[in-house]
Amino acid sequence: MNNQRNPTISKGVDTTLIWLYLLLVAIGLLSIFSVTYREGDDVLRSFLNFKTDYSKQLIFFAASLLLGLFILLTDSKFFTATANIWYAFGILLLLLVFPFHTNVKGTESIIKLGGFNLQPAELMKLFVCLALAKYLSRVETDFTKTSSHLMAAGILMLPALITVAQKETGLALVFLAFFLVMFREGLPAGYLIVGFSLAVLVVATLLLDKNVLAVILTAIAILTIYFGWRFTRQRRELVIIVAVVWACCVGVQRFAVPFIFTKVLQKHQVERVFSLIGRENPYAKLNTVEGDEPVTVKKDTDYNVRQSKIAIGSGGFAGRGFLKGTQTRFDFVPEQRTDFIFCTIGEGFGFIGCVAVLGIYIFLLLRIVNIAERQRSVFSRCYAYGVASVFFFHIAINICMTIGLAPVIGIPLPFISYGGTSLISFSTMLFILVRLDADRQMVLR
Amino acid sequence: MEVKKDILWRVYLCFLGIVVFSIVILGRAVYIQQVQGAFWREQAKEQQQKFVEIDAQRGTIYSEDGRMLSTSTPYFDIYIDFAADGLRQKNGQRFENNLDSLSLGLAMLFPEKSKASWRRELKNGYQKKNRYYLLKKNLTFQQYKQLRSLPLVREGKNKSGFIAEVKDKRLNPFGLLANRTIGLSREYIDSGGIMRNMNVGLEKTYDEHLRGESGKRLMRKIAAGVFVPVDGSEIEPQNGKDIITTLDVNIQDIAENALLNVLTANECEYGTCIVMEVATGKIKAIANLSRREDGSYWENYNYAVQASEPGSTFKLVTMLSLLEDQLITLQQHINLEGGSWNVNGRTVYDTEDHGTDATIKEAFEHSSNVGMAKLTMTYYAKNPNRFIDHIKKLRLDQPTGIDLLGEGKPVIKTPKSRSWSATSLPWMSFGYELMVSPLQTLMLYNAIANDGKMMKPYLVNSVQENGVKIQENQPQIVEEAVCSPKTLKLLRQCLEGVCEQGTAAELFSGAPYRAAGKTGTALMANGSRGYRDHIYQSSFAGYFPAEHPQYSCIVVIRNKPFAPVYYGAKIAGPVFKEIADKLYALNADQSRGLKHMALKKDSSHYLYAGSTEDIKEVLEKLKIKYRDSAKADEWGHMYAVNYQPVVSHRKIANNIMPDIRGMGIKDALFLLENRKMKVVFRGRGKVVSQSIEPGTYVSNHQTVTLELN
Repeated sequence: MNNQRNPTISKGVDTTLIWLYLLLVAIGLLSIFSVTYREGDDVLRSFLNFKTDYSKQLIFFAASLLLGLFILLTDSKFFTATANIWYAFGILLLLLVFPFHTNVKGTESIIKLGGFNLQPAELMKLFVCLALAKYLSRVETDFTKTSSHLMAAGILMLPALITVAQKETGLALVFLAFFLVMFREGLPAGYLIVGFSLAVLVVATLLLDKNVLAVILTAIAILTIYFGWRFTRQRRELVIIVAVVWACCVGVQRFAVPFIFTKVLQKHQVERVFSLIGRENPYAKLNTVEGDEPVTVKKDTDYNVRQSKIAIGSGGFAGRGFLKGTQTRFDFVPEQRTDFIFCTIGEGFGFIGCVAVLGIYIFLLLRIVNIAERQRSVFSRCYAYGVASVFFFHIAINICMTIGLAPVIGIPLPFISYGGTSLISFSTMLFILVRLDADRQMVLR
Repeated sequence: MEVKKDILWRVYLCFLGIVVFSIVILGRAVYIQQVQGAFWREQAKEQQQKFVEIDAQRGTIYSEDGRMLSTSTPYFDIYIDFAADGLRQKNGQRFENNLDSLSLGLAMLFPEKSKASWRRELKNGYQKKNRYYLLKKNLTFQQYKQLRSLPLVREGKNKSGFIAEVKDKRLNPFGLLANRTIGLSREYIDSGGIMRNMNVGLEKTYDEHLRGESGKRLMRKIAAGVFVPVDGSEIEPQNGKDIITTLDVNIQDIAENALLNVLTANECEYGTCIVMEVATGKIKAIANLSRREDGSYWENYNYAVQASEPGSTFKLVTMLSLLEDQLITLQQHINLEGGSWNVNGRTVYDTEDHGTDATIKEAFEHSSNVGMAKLTMTYYAKNPNRFIDHIKKLRLDQPTGIDLLGEGKPVIKTPKSRSWSATSLPWMSFGYELMVSPLQTLMLYNAIANDGKMMKPYLVNSVQENGVKIQENQPQIVEEAVCSPKTLKLLRQCLEGVCEQGTAAELFSGAPYRAAGKTGTALMANGSRGYRDHIYQSSFAGYFPAEHPQYSCIVVIRNKPFAPVYYGAKIAGPVFKEIADKLYALNADQSRGLKHMALKKDSSHYLYAGSTEDIKEVLEKLKIKYRDSAKADEWGHMYAVNYQPVVSHRKIANNIMPDIRGMGIKDALFLLENRKMKVVFRGRGKVVSQSIEPGTYVSNHQTVTLELN
């Protein structure tokens, strides 16, 4: 109750986090500047005339800071109290997209409000984070029960599914990151093992010929029975379990994966996945999903990544220097300012720059996990883990995308990529965390 | 403790995950930047430079009298490199000093912007250091020359930063004149999205010469997706060669107008008219006009070389065969059956009833179908091949071989043909059941006019490069004698008879010259509607003056359906007569042949050769800027590249015939006589051709003939 009597906002605020935040936004602004700046531009004037990208980003930054200030002035209990309302509000917004969306660049997830493009799915990350934290921190929630697992999964799968329906598969994947929160809160390791195995199986399905994979799966099953035979008495159960697991695996490999790649994902997304692993798309002719992005040749799907690699590759060890990168400055790399901003750093500052930026991100993530673990209230801890998971997912996928380790799914790099909505939503998430952390001695429910 | 342990391994797993991910990313970054680094950097370099083609200037098509029929006019796009070192020297002093005067000059030259706004534009570009600023597009050569004289601009590319890029546009200065024959050269985008050139007519036939070879220029990418040329990395384009046609603008104009008048007056569907020089086979005029929806006429199809049923003009062939085979005499009498005669179940009609009794000459003069059909049936029915062989000897079964792509193939039936019937022979005798082009018919009439010597028609006299002939077409004899002199004499009597007492007598009454020719009126099939539409093709083929033929000419006109007037003598005849009248008047004071004016050269192509030092001295005296690529050689030549003279050396070796084209006679004599060669020359001026090709081995006292223009 101390800070209510003496409401200084600085009390308990984690300054390290704030500094990291400011550092990342500054890097972002400079990167956008280095892409957009043309020789001869009046730097100061174009920074302030709000016409160039970097000056627009500057406004968004200012807006984020203002919002951050308001958040820091808000009582922490406000967030616990309103978490579910926000979630409901978010779902409502998501549903409103269907009748009111405008088509922008092949996505159907945006509502135009005057000059501003509102993407509810982007905001939904924050709301899910709050709602999940709220649910997990309830006294009634017993997270050892399967029903609780299902309920928590439902909280994040509902918006994820709606987002898929809006043709934003990349954004929908972000919601899966919240499983990390559940894992920290005691989701049995079994889920992890099953999930991991499933991932391996899907990747194997994409990489290997389907018959070869079936033979391998069968071989594993037979070997399991052969070795298991000696160590167990319940041989009947062993055979049944192995048979069921084998059937599931083959089912996934034979039917589930082809189904997803022909009936759920859009053609260009499938192409991106296969261009990443360097195989011909075997489902090309079977795909019946109508995509808005035309898929012409494989070369096109490769183009972004190729240009991105050229940019990063020509950076070398120390980079070409600020404003000297020809690839990123001369518009070779598509989506240079948004999804592929990492190239700018790679080309301009080389390996050293990449290490530095990555280092800052890791420091940020570890700091957030650290903060999470020092919370007294489960709500704050879950929320902190939620934030960490979302950031981690964005950073990992975005950077992997630019260096050709992940398919291009178009999600921004937190704080650095150009884009008002993403900067404001990431900032809000971070500032709420700072606010909750400032009250870490309180038990919030 | 169990709980704490459980939580701990979960947290550690999270930490581990983050660390593993960062190691993977860093590993990948090292791989891309260090291991593959060189490869990606190479790729980057490749992307930033590219070669672009520089189009060669297309050659010009000239008429025989040296007027441009189709030419390329250069247009200039002006760019400014505001970052040029010369311009920015001493803190931009040069730019500042010239800014006002240049803006004023620009405002005077291009008044669409005021001095102030030009000034603002330049100042703005200068501040932004734009390296490839587009100042203005599509300047004419005149405007470009004026621009070059403005302050700053006249200091040259390096100091002013002004860059000019040349584009070509194709122009036909004489508009419609012989448009279809000269042809078109236009760009279109093919199904694959590639820009291509579509040519027709001479533009197509001689495309290889006209096109030239495009050059290459290295371009470097700078900011905002703009490419700028890299200095010194250019392969100059080789400009196209010029074509000198046989066409005469005056005759073409006369022919085209005569045809147009008649077509317009009678609302005919289309018409074609060819004028040929008798002695050489040169096409002096070729007009093709067809009616458009709005009633105007346009050259859009070369009817002159497309085969169709010729009608009565073909009767000349029938007469030639009969006379050559000595089967008839002109005075022999023949029963014309009152204008209709039944043969093998079909009836041959005459357009008019010429009674029953006439001489064969009269039958021809009045164009009696019955007469011709009866004669062929009488003499060739048992052996139709004898008649067909005559057609073949007259080359009517094959295209003329004129140097124009797209000539149609004639159709001549033989008794072996599947469509040969009992009435084929009689119908062929008056020009049906076979297809030949107007040009083929004209080639035959021209042979009669040319004392039996059949000439191959041609359209191009020579191909020239920088005013020097590199290919010359000579008149070609196809058939030394199409018939015996005796037959020839009789045939000419017949053709003259047509114009004196036959179908065209009325037409030529009162003409100051004597003409010879044959009318033709053919009922044409109109696609699936057959002969029901009563479309007639009127034609007239002949030559003039009858005594010493200079020109032969054919006119073929397709009338509209149910036209009130359609006789050859009434429709095609007047066109022929108007052409003959005017050409006769044009040449009245000349005993024989047209004197051809010397070819006038335009300034874009020239070639002067001689002593290198002399050329340079002259150029320097005249203060003409030139590019010097001559080595320290005694002999050199000068030619134009993009309107700039270039002086380059010429290799002269002993015992090898030197290239003396473009030299004056003094230099040529000095050079050749020093080699102990004998020189014979004709004309005055520069050497345009030499009888011994350059580069051939020559010995002492060999004679070489030079032609000067």
